[in-house]
Amino acid sequence: MPRYRVQFSKEGPARFLSHLDLVRTTERALRRARLPLAFSQGFNPHPRFSFAAPLPVGVAGEQEYLDIELEKNISPKEIISRLNMVFPEGIRVKEARPVSDRAPSLMATLKKARYEVEMELSGPLTNSALQGCLDSFLALSAVEAATKKKDRQKTKDIRPGIYRLQGKVEQKKVVLEMELQAGSSGNVRPEEVCRGLLEKCGLPVLLQTCRIKRTGLFFEKSSDSRESGRTATEE
Amino acid sequence: MNPKIERVLSRVQKPARYAGGEWNAVLKNWEQTPVKIAFAFPDVYEVGMSHLGLQILYHLVNERDDALMERVFAPWPDMEKEMRQHRIPLFSLESQRTVGDFDLLAFTLQYEMTFTNVLNMLDLAGLPLRAQERSAQHPLVIAGGPCAYNPEPLADFVDLFVIGEGEEVFPEIIDLVKNYQKHRDREKFLLQAAGIGGVYVPSLYLVEYKPDGKIASIKPSREGVPERVTKRVVKNFDAAPFPDKLVVPSTEVVHDRIMLEVMRGCTRGCRFCQAGNIYRPVREKRPETLLEQARELVKSTGYEEISLVSLSTADYSQVARLVGELLDEFAAQRINISLPSLRVDAFSVALAQEVSRVRKAGLTFAPEAGTQRLRNVINKGVGEEDLLRAVQSAFAAGWSAVKLYFMIGLPTETRADVEGIARLARQVLETGKRLGVPRGKLAVTVSVSCFVPKSHTPFQWEPQDTQEELNEKQALLKNLLKTKGIIFRWHDSRQSFLEAVLARGDRRLAAALEEAWRLGCRFDGWSECFRFDLWREAFRRTGIVPEWYAYQKYDYDDILPWEHISAGVSKKYLIDEHQRALKGILTGDCREGKCSGCGLCVTLEIAPELSGGKEVAPLQGAV
Repeated sequence: MPRYRVQFSKEGPARFLSHLDLVRTTERALRRARLPLAFSQGFNPHPRFSFAAPLPVGVAGEQEYLDIELEKNISPKEIISRLNMVFPEGIRVKEARPVSDRAPSLMATLKKARYEVEMELSGPLTNSALQGCLDSFLALSAVEAATKKKDRQKTKDIRPGIYRLQGKVEQKKVVLEMELQAGSSGNVRPEEVCRGLLEKCGLPVLLQTCRIKRTGLFFEKSSDSRESGRTATEE
Repeated sequence: MNPKIERVLSRVQKPARYAGGEWNAVLKNWEQTPVKIAFAFPDVYEVGMSHLGLQILYHLVNERDDALMERVFAPWPDMEKEMRQHRIPLFSLESQRTVGDFDLLAFTLQYEMTFTNVLNMLDLAGLPLRAQERSAQHPLVIAGGPCAYNPEPLADFVDLFVIGEGEEVFPEIIDLVKNYQKHRDREKFLLQAAGIGGVYVPSLYLVEYKPDGKIASIKPSREGVPERVTKRVVKNFDAAPFPDKLVVPSTEVVHDRIMLEVMRGCTRGCRFCQAGNIYRPVREKRPETLLEQARELVKSTGYEEISLVSLSTADYSQVARLVGELLDEFAAQRINISLPSLRVDAFSVALAQEVSRVRKAGLTFAPEAGTQRLRNVINKGVGEEDLLRAVQSAFAAGWSAVKLYFMIGLPTETRADVEGIARLARQVLETGKRLGVPRGKLAVTVSVSCFVPKSHTPFQWEPQDTQEELNEKQALLKNLLKTKGIIFRWHDSRQSFLEAVLARGDRRLAAALEEAWRLGCRFDGWSECFRFDLWREAFRRTGIVPEWYAYQKYDYDDILPWEHISAGVSKKYLIDEHQRALKGILTGDCREGKCSGCGLCVTLEIAPELSGGKEVAPLQGAV
């Protein structure tokens, strides 16, 4: 069955949708778009589509990915324009292209995610002090972060999952850019990095003012480069 | 988005409740639209967005060039805290404007337990609570819905109430608001509004009391104000405005599907039921109309389910035909059809069987009372055999779970009636076992609520059972229903008590309501928020005895707090029905062609509208 990889953004009011909300909203938008949807089998059939990675509530996404299965071929241009007529405010489709129906799922090949994080400062900070702080953080051999699994407190080391960390001071805010491990194992959340920066290196930020945007997803390179997200080839 | 609001949304649970931007939400040009209305649902978003009335009025108003309607819901306590802390006034979802900027703030009153939320929303909007303290710079505060049929507990807070169906009255109010914008004289506006049929302006009525606390008189204080306000109803319901678009919530709401209203009103005549009286007469839409509306809605919403809604959908004359045609048309698109309520009979089960490919949820039946005697008292024309046959068909068709709704505290109820509930539940369980429903799967849920005597019903004169009595009956049932396979659920009798106080109360309750809100009462219908201790304190501080309201047995001669509001059903009929109830005499359904003489059709100059059904000739001498 024809499968299409769709790149979209989730911003504005839509950033407050949970992943489940997004799934529901997408199913209804696909139905409104009157695309020849492929349905799952069974008593309660659903249109077949899947996302690369869930976005937490409140986190905006600039370049998110979604695979949609159709019963027949439709031009990518047509898919983009039909979807943009039916998605609610804040969800915009930017790209669509066919992928092989044997291509591995988005979720399976996801490696990294890039985030932009804005936080208000709790005290004075210069760009060089920030740089010093980031350098000393990256120099740590391990960074413990608390996790909660079935009500049991555990810790994990997030340091191996931090691939890049940069930042600058803008007026009373600090803006960080980070690339973190994403996917089913070793996933690192940007809040964990922010907490680490505050606790380990004394970065003067107000964690509760943290505003996160996911700006890119990176997938494992495969033999057929068409089968992964565009950004995959960057690193 | 407003950055201040956006920041706060990152910190509250379920921020999608306040974010707006849903599909089919209408954002109109503010400057170019003369009349601005905020529709306020005094409960949380997920409940409010499940309300069909909101969608109907939203569509009706936004179709007009000269008016706009935006939505606002009660903020959950975490959001309220943030709003107060950061001085964010109550805002609408569409434009995120403060509610104080609108011309009209229109509340819908679906249940009494939302009254403190009404006050809280007024306060969060920065409006004085009391109508007399508001001026022309504030929006007009109006309210409608079933609880407007006894509007008195909210009389001091609301400028005007709409009695009856909003589709009829709203256009006339909008026209009057346009006129008001020229003169900005609130008093003049209210006086003119009182001349519109179905509009009740509480400040234009004087209530006097007797030494014993009962009402001595309710009279208009100005000339031209009607002594009685009679409800408005839509005539030719088939042609009534119905949305071709629904706002589709992005987050999950309670009823998350197309609500296709197949008829309005119900003629079964259950004597406890307020809806059965206030939504009369029964009016059905034609199947052709419904099919067309379903087509439009499927296209415009993308929903995967159509629910056929009404007070009793199995009673809709053309229900089998409609279900068949909907299935034929929409099965290929994998769109499900659902029925929200079932009648207690095999026909209903057959219908449910036809529409559901998956027997996922259990089926729900409402015998309401445990013995035939008491079911006759309440005019629930259901026999034990009907119920057993219905559950037999359900189990045979593959369902393994059924839910049974009952009430305790009904007039004339004895211990035997309460025991009857348990006996019936066990019979249903036995039926399931006999039909071979697997032990682990077989489940009979017995859900028992407490009877609340409601205005405009034959039981409006009856007192509520005391909390002690209700608690004893619940304890008895808990004991009798301790069986594997039966799940017993009951209603907090304290909440039912408060519901009765607010449902039967008069204007003097305003003080207690305001005090309860000041003490922090919100979302009284939510058990996790309900603070009976604070309510008790509020009654104590204001010197109001709530028991006096809940446990009052009224005489037919007494002036009831809602005496000046008419649902179109005659007092004579309600008295007759009350008498027949006490004697256990059943009254037939006028759908069968025999008028039961409620007087409504004569008073409102209307007739039941049955789609391909019988003509009903009203008894002329009934009023």
